[in-house]
Amino acid sequence: MKKTKSGRGINSMPAGTRIVTYICLVWALVVSLVPLGWLVLSSLKKDPMARPGFQLPETICLDGYISTFRDLHVLRYFGNSLFVAGVSVMISVVMISMSAYVVARMEFKGKALVNILLYSTMFIPATALTYPVYNLVNRLHLYDTRSALILIYSCSGIAVSFFVIKNYYDNIPRELEEAARIDGCGYVQTWVKVIFPIARPGIMTAAVLAFLNNWNEYYWASLVLITREKLTVPALLSTFTTAFNTNYNGLFSAMVIIILPPVLLYCIFSRFFIEALSGGAVKG
Amino acid sequence: MENLKAVNKRKNKLGMRKKGFIIAFLAPTLIAFCVFYLYPIITVFVTSFCKWDYTNITSPEFFGWSNLWDNYDYIFNKYPFFWEALRNSTTWAILGAVVQIPIATLIALALSRKVKGIKFVRNVYIIPNMISTAAMGIVFLQLYNPSYGIINPIIRLFHKDFTDNILLLKGSAFVAMTCAYIFFTGTTTLMILGNIMAVPEEVREAAMLDGASGLKQDWHITIPMIKGTLKTVSVLAATSGFLLYNEVYFLTKGAAGTYSISYIIRELAITSPRTQFGRANAVAMIQILAGMVIILVINFVYSVSFKKEKK
Repeated sequence: MKKTKSGRGINSMPAGTRIVTYICLVWALVVSLVPLGWLVLSSLKKDPMARPGFQLPETICLDGYISTFRDLHVLRYFGNSLFVAGVSVMISVVMISMSAYVVARMEFKGKALVNILLYSTMFIPATALTYPVYNLVNRLHLYDTRSALILIYSCSGIAVSFFVIKNYYDNIPRELEEAARIDGCGYVQTWVKVIFPIARPGIMTAAVLAFLNNWNEYYWASLVLITREKLTVPALLSTFTTAFNTNYNGLFSAMVIIILPPVLLYCIFSRFFIEALSGGAVKG
Repeated sequence: MENLKAVNKRKNKLGMRKKGFIIAFLAPTLIAFCVFYLYPIITVFVTSFCKWDYTNITSPEFFGWSNLWDNYDYIFNKYPFFWEALRNSTTWAILGAVVQIPIATLIALALSRKVKGIKFVRNVYIIPNMISTAAMGIVFLQLYNPSYGIINPIIRLFHKDFTDNILLLKGSAFVAMTCAYIFFTGTTTLMILGNIMAVPEEVREAAMLDGASGLKQDWHITIPMIKGTLKTVSVLAATSGFLLYNEVYFLTKGAAGTYSISYIIRELAITSPRTQFGRANAVAMIQILAGMVIILVINFVYSVSFKKEKK
């Protein structure tokens, strides 16, 4: 049997399947490109009100983009987001890769309980914890500080990182640690020098997923931050609808700029993202 | 004898060290768990039985056993938006499992075939999921704008004089909000696709020899093999549908019958000028319980439907 007929080649499939496949693919393109394409198109119109919908602009107008950088100081908000998301990812990933190692490799009393507790966090709706967390942040005198967000992001999303990293540990052969132990490494040394470097791909996967979540997180960001200078990018968005009033050209341009960094980052690292999200089975 | 003692002593010392290591490595995560999950959940549970609002911010007051359910009674019988929010959130949860997952699976199957340009489609399809739902909410707010959006011109093809904002009309507001998020299944699709690609090639070849190819093969061979992943992503989709907040906030702020459970929790606890912490926490308890019900229902549905398949 030829390789092309290995069950996934489209030409060997029944006509019905082929039609459904093409419909799905076209649909996928339309759904993801139309809203964003329209956004970019509108941002180039001097007055989107005058030429609504998909009408092409008379002349290309870049005023909105210029004023977004000049007056809105978007770079500051990107900085905030980068700082908050970056620091909290580092804290949570180090913390969880330590605990996941212990759970994956050691026997101790209460291991099952630890497992269940961490697993259960996946199903505890964060919004249900709104007031207690808000209250806690206030009592620690962290309200309206970026530290509050770092605290929240470091503690939330434990479950996903824990399972991604623990799965990776489970696939590392035990002989490596034994060899390190015979060479005289202590437990901490073994982990720092041998296990952590080997598990780096798994840990990176968890870090990428967590970073993406934190970068895009809106609920807590809009809850604990109020000073404009401290806002993260998603929290800034809620000020948009009033801030631009009737300057639609400015509004659309600002939105394009806000959306651009994650999209660009994705375009550059899409191979990495896709492998991370599909559990390594799909090559980018 | 002496020797054995020494060995035991050394073993003990090693055991102590190991214990210390385990505790030190577990502690940070467990502390984070207690700070962010355990303590808040206990607070939510206890104070859902307390009178606690803007009049006694610092000192929640237990209702006493005879009035234990006062907050819940208020939420169920007097609070005007609870049932609307519960109905909406439940609908979004169901739509997550019965609309989002089939769409995600169909697209994942399409992406698993060998077609020219498939990588391009796959990479493009993930893009909306890289953008925060808050930003997508604002994008759709513009799309739905009656004076410069693209939805109203389309409606005008059928109803000539249509000038309303669809986000302000009951019914259409709910549909519009649903459409603002439900089709963006990029990450889910990728998780399913990862699983489809992991199905061994021999299984496909065996199915081909039996004359099953294309969708028929997918239905009988691939889908049953990836049912574990399908169950997990169904739970995730249903849960996130139940928790919908950003779309509600950015598109309607609860107008035209679009409240969600998350939205009323935040409204009761934070946004409203007369904050009702106890009552907000009662709703939160209901949300936590509903989350468990979702998991149980999906587990049940999957175990029943795949048992039938086997017979």
